Amino acid sequence: MILQLNHLQRNHAASSAQDVIGALYSLLEEGRLEQSQFAHLRVHLDWIQYRQNFRDAVTVTREPSEHGEIHPPIEMHVDTRQLVPDSLREDILRAMIRANPEPEGVEDRLFLEDFKTFRSSLVWDFNRLYWHRLPDWEEATGRSYEQALPGGKSDANHPEAVADCVADFWTLLRDLENKNRLAPEIFALEIGVGMGVRSRIWLDRFRALDQERGTNYYPRLKFLLGDYSLSTLERSRPAVREHLDLCSFIVLDAIDPTKTLSFLRHKLLHIHLTNVYDNLPDEEFARRDGRLHLVQVRAYIPSGESVRIAKAFELPAGEMSRTVNRLLESGPDYFSDHSRGVAFWQEIWKALRLEERVVSLEDLPDVSLPAGLDPSHLEDVLQEAPADFRFHLSSGALESFRSTLPLLHPRGFLQVQDIFVTDLNEYLLGFHGPGKLDGSIVNWVNGVLLREVGERAGYDVHFAPFRYRQGSRTSILYTTQRE
Amino acid sequence: MNLPILPTTVVGSYSMPGWLERLKTEYFARRISRHDLDEIHDTAIKAAIKDQEIAGIDIITDGELRRDNMIDYFVERLPGVQIDRSSKKFYYDFYDSSVIGKLPMAPLGLAGDFRFLAANTERETKFCVTGPHSLSKRIRNEFYPSEEAFATDIARVMNLELKELVKAGARLIQIDEPNYSGFPADLSWGVKVLNTMVEGVEAKIAVHICYGNRYGKPSWEGSYRYLFPKILEAKVQQLTLEFARRGGEDLDLLKEFSAPFELGLGVIDVKTNAVETPDLVAERIREALEVLPAERIFILPDCGCFHLPRNIAFAKLCAMVEGTRLVREELKN
Repeated sequence: MILQLNHLQRNHAASSAQDVIGALYSLLEEGRLEQSQFAHLRVHLDWIQYRQNFRDAVTVTREPSEHGEIHPPIEMHVDTRQLVPDSLREDILRAMIRANPEPEGVEDRLFLEDFKTFRSSLVWDFNRLYWHRLPDWEEATGRSYEQALPGGKSDANHPEAVADCVADFWTLLRDLENKNRLAPEIFALEIGVGMGVRSRIWLDRFRALDQERGTNYYPRLKFLLGDYSLSTLERSRPAVREHLDLCSFIVLDAIDPTKTLSFLRHKLLHIHLTNVYDNLPDEEFARRDGRLHLVQVRAYIPSGESVRIAKAFELPAGEMSRTVNRLLESGPDYFSDHSRGVAFWQEIWKALRLEERVVSLEDLPDVSLPAGLDPSHLEDVLQEAPADFRFHLSSGALESFRSTLPLLHPRGFLQVQDIFVTDLNEYLLGFHGPGKLDGSIVNWVNGVLLREVGERAGYDVHFAPFRYRQGSRTSILYTTQRE
Repeated sequence: MNLPILPTTVVGSYSMPGWLERLKTEYFARRISRHDLDEIHDTAIKAAIKDQEIAGIDIITDGELRRDNMIDYFVERLPGVQIDRSSKKFYYDFYDSSVIGKLPMAPLGLAGDFRFLAANTERETKFCVTGPHSLSKRIRNEFYPSEEAFATDIARVMNLELKELVKAGARLIQIDEPNYSGFPADLSWGVKVLNTMVEGVEAKIAVHICYGNRYGKPSWEGSYRYLFPKILEAKVQQLTLEFARRGGEDLDLLKEFSAPFELGLGVIDVKTNAVETPDLVAERIREALEVLPAERIFILPDCGCFHLPRNIAFAKLCAMVEGTRLVREELKN
């Protein structure tokens, strides 16, 4: 057995390692765990910082058989945060039985889909539903999504951070003007505007700085607020009411902003995104003994929860799967009582889990990587990576990043404020998603791959920790031209 | 040169395949030999020549596939330039290079590359070189009193090489000077240095001035107005400029300043994968015909096709040729 500690929470690591080893040995001694199973166990102790997430306390995935192996590896993930010592043995046994190729007598899950890539899972439909029906969710919970963030507010709105960004922008304008290269219209874009607070702070600060310096850039500014949700854009309007004359509100596809903004190709002097990439569809890969595997998932609701929710909402138990699909298609309005529909949505989201399996990439010749990252680039990146670890492909973020770069003016810069993994070894030191944040999905973003894609596109990518709030896990990605 | 009206050509580079990029990088990592790389280049160039021929291009180049970028191919050959060969992580990166003494006069060995091109096509050919202004911007000058002095010496060495190319049979040579657009204030000496480079060279000389194509994106923005009237002093026969991406507004400058040159008209935007239609190409040519007669116009993409995927580059060239054919028909009628 190999025991891997994937986190730095000392107290959880020490006691749970002892509990897990003790439980496994006792199961082995009782004959409830075979020696061959024990020999091929890889036990991962994780600590999931997202209290709401998609995992049970113990999950087991059987690795695919390769090269004629009789006993392929068995991967066990233990969430040390959820772990309850008294029920650990039963949790392990149940997870082991469920991971059998043909599990007997285990029908404790209501599956909502077949196995598929994480990106294709219906959990992303829930994510989309959340952003499109955000006011409904907020009304039901009594708090805004910003209040649901760790710390109760967004780092994006930190006035000092915004002021520094404005100063950089102003300096760029002055440099261009000194070289007679500043166009009459000055374009800037914010993607993922939320309530418009950051945009307001930015515009207020830019106007003030411009007036202070007497440069008259502000009247030439064309500030675009972009979001994929029309309702979010509408909510941002009041925040920037003093600047409406130079603001435009644009619904855009976060994965490919050029679909809507191609007319601004090479014209944007500044683009900013906050907490967008961590919410875009993603894939997860696992590397075992140097070979790559794709993590596939299927969404389910534990049967106990399914029965409880069906009873609470007076639904036939057999109708649960269909009702969930209708919810995702039509939103909470599917229910004649709107508030009941929202309550159902929240219950389902809370109960929702993901079962996993890993599939060798050689068996999936059609897995396509995001544009800008081909298999040889990924191989280059993985040369410096651990031989056994799981990592995000951050496919949505990579596509969005690569699609956004062509909008930049030759001297423009992109800033992205988000949660980034900047060294692949970090995947061995903590859990990086997916988790649930309010009604949405949150995933750390693979900054290493962003850097690779950026370099190939002609930009050096840098990460600076968000120094404006102590304890923040956010970093700021910014680009510089690559010569 | 035996050419139809509105001859089509390419600016120089053709699509660089991913496998060739990896092999070039492997060479820098010392995992394949120079001999093997040369063979690989020969094969890739033959394919690029074939693509141009099938697309219907009238004046062929070697696709510049031997080159890592538009600078290092010459930097490696320029005598007296010091190169830090460990400075490249990826083949496309620029060398960290410097000059610490006067450049001696010596051949650069480009004629062999031209001969390979000429031997593998029966069509008219063009050979492209980077100009002294652009080269001087990338080589660190630790000897000369000024950039102009440095560029002038580069021009003298290149002048010798152009004459060798002519001896080898080159009849159309293009000099690439994208950095004029980045440093317009240099134009006054830039043109002087260009004239030093082409002095006594008995071939048609085109100078290509774009707004940069590094990583397939522009390096600068602006208008070509900065070129005039200084560029009129250049002793070249053709100006090759980009109009597809930037629009045709600057075409009027040629009329306004009675520019005597032929125009290499950029009709294909190489910074997007969207393939133009022949009708769009034809429209762009017609716009130029309002300013210059057909006898003085050559048809090309805006810049090199280096960053385009091969199938896209090929499709764009086909569209360019077909659009040109449409206008030739109109002119005939």
